[in-house]
Amino acid sequence: MVLREEKNTMKFPRLSWKIWLLAIVLLASALIISPTFETGVIIKSVEKNSTALDQGLKSNMIIQSINGNPIKNSEDYSRIINSIFPSKNKTSLKINTKDSEFVLFTNKAPEIIIADIPKTKLKTGLDLSGGARALVKAENKSLNAAELNDLISVTSNRLNEFGIADVTVKQVSDLSGNNFMLIEIAGATPTDIEDLVSKQGKFEAKIGNETVFIGGEKDITYVARTGEQSGIYACEAYNGEEVCSFRFAITLSEQAARLQAAITNNLTTDPTNPDYLSKKLDLYLDDSLVDSLSISKDLKGRETTQISIQGSGKGTTRKEAYDDATNNMKKLQTILITGSLPFKLEIVKIDTISPVLGKEFTKNLIILGLIVFVLVSVMLFIKFRRIKVTAAVILTLFSEAFITLAIAALIKWNLDAPAIAGIIAGMGTGVNDQIIILDEAEFDKHASLKERVKNAFFIILSAFALIIVAMLPLFWAGAGMLKGFALTTIIGVSVGILVTRPAFSEIIKLIIKE
Amino acid sequence: MDNIESNSKDWYDRYYKILFLIPIILLIISLAYLGYFFNKHGDFMLKDVSLSGGSSITLQGDIDINKLESQLKSKFPDLSVRSLTDITTGKPVSFILESSSTPEQLKPEIEKALGYKLTDKNSSTEFTGPSLSNSFYKQLLFALLISFILMSITIFVIFRTFLPSLAVIFAVFGDIVMPLALIDFLGIRLSAAGIAAFLMLIGYSVDTDILLTTRAIRTKGNTLNSRIFRAFKTGSFMTLTALVAILPAFFIVSGLPDSFRQIFFILALGLFADLINTWLTNASIIKWYCERKKIQ
Repeated sequence: MVLREEKNTMKFPRLSWKIWLLAIVLLASALIISPTFETGVIIKSVEKNSTALDQGLKSNMIIQSINGNPIKNSEDYSRIINSIFPSKNKTSLKINTKDSEFVLFTNKAPEIIIADIPKTKLKTGLDLSGGARALVKAENKSLNAAELNDLISVTSNRLNEFGIADVTVKQVSDLSGNNFMLIEIAGATPTDIEDLVSKQGKFEAKIGNETVFIGGEKDITYVARTGEQSGIYACEAYNGEEVCSFRFAITLSEQAARLQAAITNNLTTDPTNPDYLSKKLDLYLDDSLVDSLSISKDLKGRETTQISIQGSGKGTTRKEAYDDATNNMKKLQTILITGSLPFKLEIVKIDTISPVLGKEFTKNLIILGLIVFVLVSVMLFIKFRRIKVTAAVILTLFSEAFITLAIAALIKWNLDAPAIAGIIAGMGTGVNDQIIILDEAEFDKHASLKERVKNAFFIILSAFALIIVAMLPLFWAGAGMLKGFALTTIIGVSVGILVTRPAFSEIIKLIIKE
Repeated sequence: MDNIESNSKDWYDRYYKILFLIPIILLIISLAYLGYFFNKHGDFMLKDVSLSGGSSITLQGDIDINKLESQLKSKFPDLSVRSLTDITTGKPVSFILESSSTPEQLKPEIEKALGYKLTDKNSSTEFTGPSLSNSFYKQLLFALLISFILMSITIFVIFRTFLPSLAVIFAVFGDIVMPLALIDFLGIRLSAAGIAAFLMLIGYSVDTDILLTTRAIRTKGNTLNSRIFRAFKTGSFMTLTALVAILPAFFIVSGLPDSFRQIFFILALGLFADLINTWLTNASIIKWYCERKKIQ
């Protein structure tokens, strides 16, 4: 008899499958979020036809040191690269990645885009990580699905050619049936992003009134972007401003070259400048003149496929002018490659958020989260006066937030400020539900424990249904800009109903039985 | 203890109808104020640039904001300036400039006044075109209406009795109207996220009502008064816990995204209103209903 009794008390309480389910889901969530503590910077993309690519650098590699200097984050990277480049002479650059070493012999910064290594698989949205978001529609025209698809593919192409790595371009519609193109760029954003996404990109090269060639692959078969055939070739002070000029070579299709020959054949030489022809080659971008190129007289009537495109940039300092020229060159190259769109665009919404501000926000949100946890714990302890009960509520609360974050990471949802607010509000309903379970468990001592829990679940299920129907309209209103808010709330309360609440009521049963 | 409780119950029997007058008066004042506000502004709320069209530019760093404001005011008369202060140090962290002008118009003037270029390192820019913001606003109001209707239908499906369901819906209506009137009174400009917070408020404030109604008309045992009183104790604790979770966003931690703060501010106001609307409005109606139906 005695032996048997001892056996009973030694026995570990049999845990219900509901608690096991919670444990498994938590474990899976940890795997999904998978935090890392690695230092370095990750290569997001490598430019085509570049020294970096030739030497074997690839995207997703992790750079850990340059010329022996350790690289911990993107700030280290820019500091070191800016201290070496631009340089007049070619120098060798030793880049150590996680697994190997690369040596670049070059006089300019490696043509790669880097970013900090993400600490977890969680994706933070615009207002937390910085970046840009634009909502674009056609001017005075509603786009059909095919047109919108074209627009999206040209725009994605442009952003990629321009060298922006972390970008998504997709279609969104709103409740009134309007279609938009939504562009989201994570992290640092070029200052003139508006130009890149709103320009129709109609490039025309004209001699007099006749169009010789236009942007896009039909007329332009190749655009040089690196090496000797492309770059800034001169900078000078002009009228109190700094001006830098760029040029790059393009290759015309035979058809375009023939047309050019036919047109130049009818030109005479310029009487004031006899080395050149009487008319210039005028380059127009979206109907405004970018540059006029004088045509050398020996090109008269000749089919040339090689043409040099020129332009300039300016600024108050030489560096500004240089950067402006580089930017203008990249934009022009991008447009020449991707061609134009058949309609004018209008940016109806554009937000660019500083990554610096985003860091501050993230830090504050974490502090806020901790304070809320502490305060709620204190409140619960004052009410229930039992450490175990309070711990169970807090554990459930934490599990809910954690699982919601993991689901967001799994579906690659960008967590922005409203989405975080949704998670916290979801936790709020979570606490409420648990208070109801606790209260109902003590409420009617005549009814069985099972019945009491059932009563609690009636209230909880009703509250669940109500929060879902209340948030549902946000999925469609306002082109889905507040979808994140509704989504995280709904995920949060669903996780509560399906996983954490049943486990919590089992844990409470165990505590009460004690 | 028993004595006090039974005294309080008697007290409740005598005065619950008078208690009901408090929320009714508050609701009438709120509705009247909203009516006056609509007459004056042609709308139920003041809208920020995300709903009325325009730009919001956030500047970081050490800036003489008064000087900047006076320099810009002549060119942009509708410019408004707010600063976000770090409560722990008392220093402003960033400044938010809002105007109906576009960033292309605003930025060069700001740069001229500050003497340096605005980049994505030192500033954030948000712009919403007037046509889009207008349609945003209409859609969000429509969403709010749909949300309210769906909530009402769900309540009827859950309780299947007319008056108790109506009491819940009426309480939620108060939870929306009272905070909105207060926000208008304080002159706060609502953002898109702010309106979304009202949708959440519908789902958020209703659980104490469900607790009350379920305990009063579905559960047996004890007396009606003790069931209501018990629900009140639990429900008000739930609301207070939620408030404790929400209020640090204003009083302890600053430097949070604006949209985030506005969502929390509206939820906080809504929860305060919910204390009144659940435990004075809804409870009184339920009590009266149960007495009529002889539910003990």
